[in-house]
Amino acid sequence: MSENSRALKLAEANQKLANKRKGAKEKWGIVLDTSKCIDCKACTVACKMENYVPVGFYNYRIWVAEDTHYAKYPTVNRSFQPSQCQQCENPPCVHVCPTHASYKTADGVIMVDADKCILCKYCMTACPYDARYESHTTEAIDKCTFCYQRREEGKDPACVETCPPKVRVFGDLNDPNSEASRLLAENEYTVLKPEKGTRPKLKYIK
Amino acid sequence: MSLLKTKLNRRKFLAYSGGTLAAGAMASKFSTIKAVASEHSSRSNSSESKNVPSACAICVNMCSLFADVKDGVIHKLNPNHNFFKSRSMLCARGNAGAKVPYDPDRLKKPLIRAGERGEGKWKEVSWEEAYDYIVKNVMKLIDKYDNRSSIAFASTEGLQEEFFRHLTSIVGSTNSVRHPTLCLASNIQGYSSVFGTFPDADIANAKFVVMAGSNRAEAFITPDTIDLAKNHKEQTFVYLDPRATKSTALADKWFPIKPGTDMAVVLAMINIIISENLYDKEFVDKYTHGFKELANHVKQYTPEWAAKESEVPASEIKWMARKFAENAPASVWYPGRRSSFTANDVYYRRACGILNAVVGAWDRKGGLIPKSGISLKSHEFIFPLYDRVKNRIDGGKVDFAGEVLPEYIKSNKGMPKDKVAYLSESDGSWVLFRDAILKQKPYPVKGMFIYKQNPVESIPNRAKTIEMLKSMEFTCAIDIQMSDAAWYADVVLPESTYLERWDPAHNYGGAAPIVLFRKQAIKPLFDTKPMKDITVDLAERFLKEDDFWTDAWEEDKGYLQEYVDTFKNNSMEKIIEHQVSGHPGAFKMLMEKGCFYETDKIPYGQTLKEGARLKTKSGKIELASVRYPEAGLHALPVYQKPSEAPEGKYRFVVGRHAQFTQANTQNVPYLLEAYGHYENMLWIHPKSALKQGLNDGDYAIVKSSVGEQKVKVHVTEYTRPDTVFYLHGFGRLSKWLSNIYKVGASDAEILEDYAETISGNALLHETFVEIKKA
Repeated sequence: MSENSRALKLAEANQKLANKRKGAKEKWGIVLDTSKCIDCKACTVACKMENYVPVGFYNYRIWVAEDTHYAKYPTVNRSFQPSQCQQCENPPCVHVCPTHASYKTADGVIMVDADKCILCKYCMTACPYDARYESHTTEAIDKCTFCYQRREEGKDPACVETCPPKVRVFGDLNDPNSEASRLLAENEYTVLKPEKGTRPKLKYIK
Repeated sequence: MSLLKTKLNRRKFLAYSGGTLAAGAMASKFSTIKAVASEHSSRSNSSESKNVPSACAICVNMCSLFADVKDGVIHKLNPNHNFFKSRSMLCARGNAGAKVPYDPDRLKKPLIRAGERGEGKWKEVSWEEAYDYIVKNVMKLIDKYDNRSSIAFASTEGLQEEFFRHLTSIVGSTNSVRHPTLCLASNIQGYSSVFGTFPDADIANAKFVVMAGSNRAEAFITPDTIDLAKNHKEQTFVYLDPRATKSTALADKWFPIKPGTDMAVVLAMINIIISENLYDKEFVDKYTHGFKELANHVKQYTPEWAAKESEVPASEIKWMARKFAENAPASVWYPGRRSSFTANDVYYRRACGILNAVVGAWDRKGGLIPKSGISLKSHEFIFPLYDRVKNRIDGGKVDFAGEVLPEYIKSNKGMPKDKVAYLSESDGSWVLFRDAILKQKPYPVKGMFIYKQNPVESIPNRAKTIEMLKSMEFTCAIDIQMSDAAWYADVVLPESTYLERWDPAHNYGGAAPIVLFRKQAIKPLFDTKPMKDITVDLAERFLKEDDFWTDAWEEDKGYLQEYVDTFKNNSMEKIIEHQVSGHPGAFKMLMEKGCFYETDKIPYGQTLKEGARLKTKSGKIELASVRYPEAGLHALPVYQKPSEAPEGKYRFVVGRHAQFTQANTQNVPYLLEAYGHYENMLWIHPKSALKQGLNDGDYAIVKSSVGEQKVKVHVTEYTRPDTVFYLHGFGRLSKWLSNIYKVGASDAEILEDYAETISGNALLHETFVEIKKA
């Protein structure tokens, strides 16, 4: 089986899983403390391995960005910002999709049904976070699924699991006892581009 | 920063401020992996999914992992959460390991050279043919030079390295040479001269950490990296480095210290701590030797003097000293790795150890902690004793040892000129070793086995290493990929990758020790063998050759037969069971949890107990060394001013990166992509770039006295104006490293080959370069 067929098989399995989990009550989200990030890229490589994302700079579901604008030797402040699909509660990508290929699962994960996708790329234009890419393996627009295939086993997404300093904490935002909810209760946090009204489920601790 | 990376980063950061750019399409340069993967899976019948305990083999940390194998193909490597040492992580390199068996560039069949050395013409042969060739040549060399030591054995760490070392003993050579003198030999020597051992740092509990040069958040992802990142809000972290590496992101303060002057800062800190009575008097009285001499010695090293040397402000040095003492024992001057900086390195590392000792930050929570281990049983082998063996070429008196020292330190009385004072018998000193081969002193070494190491890319002065390899009458390389050293070999044996083999249990010593091992995740995809099989096969061949045994007794032959029988009659699983049989339940825990340990708690204070002795000569912490003066060395760390850059030249410093710490992963497309570029780049400060007429993205020629390289220019505020840098491991010579063959620049090519003569470590920061536009 080639990597392409594996990617397709995974996409299909996730559609089925989303169907099966129609009654799911969770609201998955990720809380990030980016001050711990050292840009080691364990997350981005793990993501590619887990989800059969092929090599190439423009094939990515997640990324680490660096603010390089304000350095003047010897005054240097380096900081990194890992990110991915914000899994918006109000997702523009879903609203613009003409074929309903982009949809939200019961537990709030934005997914793409590769069978329905016609590669019109409206969703890529609509996404304020630039979180989607055109996949040549599934011949559809592809994006982060919070590693939906891991939901049944209750495992963290690959990026969360592998991270050396554990920048990301994944959990059910509906469950006040989850570590993610606890972090949100204890810390001030922000979301990316709140003015867009997308209500992201990726929360950045300030 | 290349245009591409800047674009990607800017694009992403716009997320904070609004506005997006359309994603560009870029065809992937790499697509062959899929082909190999599919070829493999078509041969596999199983359709199940399994999780196999193993351990990463990409760096020395050997993080335990579970291989997620689906339909006989490795789908993903996941961190082993039982393995507390790795803090539940797998780094980028560890993750990319899932593709190692499927790398289209990997070695798949034994090869014998068919053209000139380095020409790249190979003939695929069977293992039998390869063994015939090896045995014939080994016998020829032993016979011709009447000396088994005429064959050298070069290797680096790994769970199968012990079998390569067995092969060294079977052939009977004394000339083994390993990686430490290209890495941390001076560090081990420096700290050991104080504490009798090379300790870990308790970063998880330290409150004040100084890291100098060691770029732990970027160069190498280890438990210490993670503890630094996790604790950075509570911990004070001071970072000294001529470059603002990614470690700067975690630092409270960054000082762009002048390279080679770190020791001035340490000595001035010790001076302040003693003169202001901030040291731990009780600890010093009870556990150390030579405090009075030290106190007198450091009086000359004032913070004002140190500031002039290092360009770290005197006020900051004072602040660091006071904070270091205030936070003790939870203070650490970080020991690090890759300590091969300048000629005075051993004394510098000694000073670092002493700084920790005077504040009592030794074997206490948050300080330096001696390593401990879990004892494993080994099969006791006796290897044959032969007559035709000579002492190692870089051991004992070496007339030309002084020649490897940089000029400025030759007048230093505490630096031997006719020997390496504390040479490791198993590791040797690579720079001196290579010189001895080329000079054929004290005798010719004309054969070489190379396992897993790549001397061409790892020893300074690449041209000289190639000259050495070309002077060989026989070279055999054993690797999973065509390293540059393999490229110049006569016969290349393909080893099975770490995911295709069982590996013996290994005690990973440390502040809290743990045992790991490897279970075979998938069957070998190609015609490859683990090192163990190669050694056993060759041993069997040698047993059949009567001429091999002319200088040994009949019983020696019997010993080797026993060795062969042990490994032929026992599976690796059985051997592992035997190894851990002293610990009830250990084997079960290993197989189920992927690792074995008794406790994850650090047993603080073992060396501070009544009656405990350190492995120093006095049994105490030696602030003044007892052994050193006996070997003609300084008892106390004496500062040596480093050389100044000649007019118009820059100091070249080396460095490591999380994707490419050593030289074995630069060819991995996923990692090149994670790094953000397909080639390495010269870091140069804007002022210096202007002076040299260089713009970002230009190509420059970087030239030293031993070589030159063409490299892309990256103009950056992240470096001192007098220092330049580019990343290790690019610009390779092996065409079978297809993504990096002649792509980017090699640091080994331009580094001048100096070493110091206390530990024999190579010096990687003693090279000055000219830079001009290409």
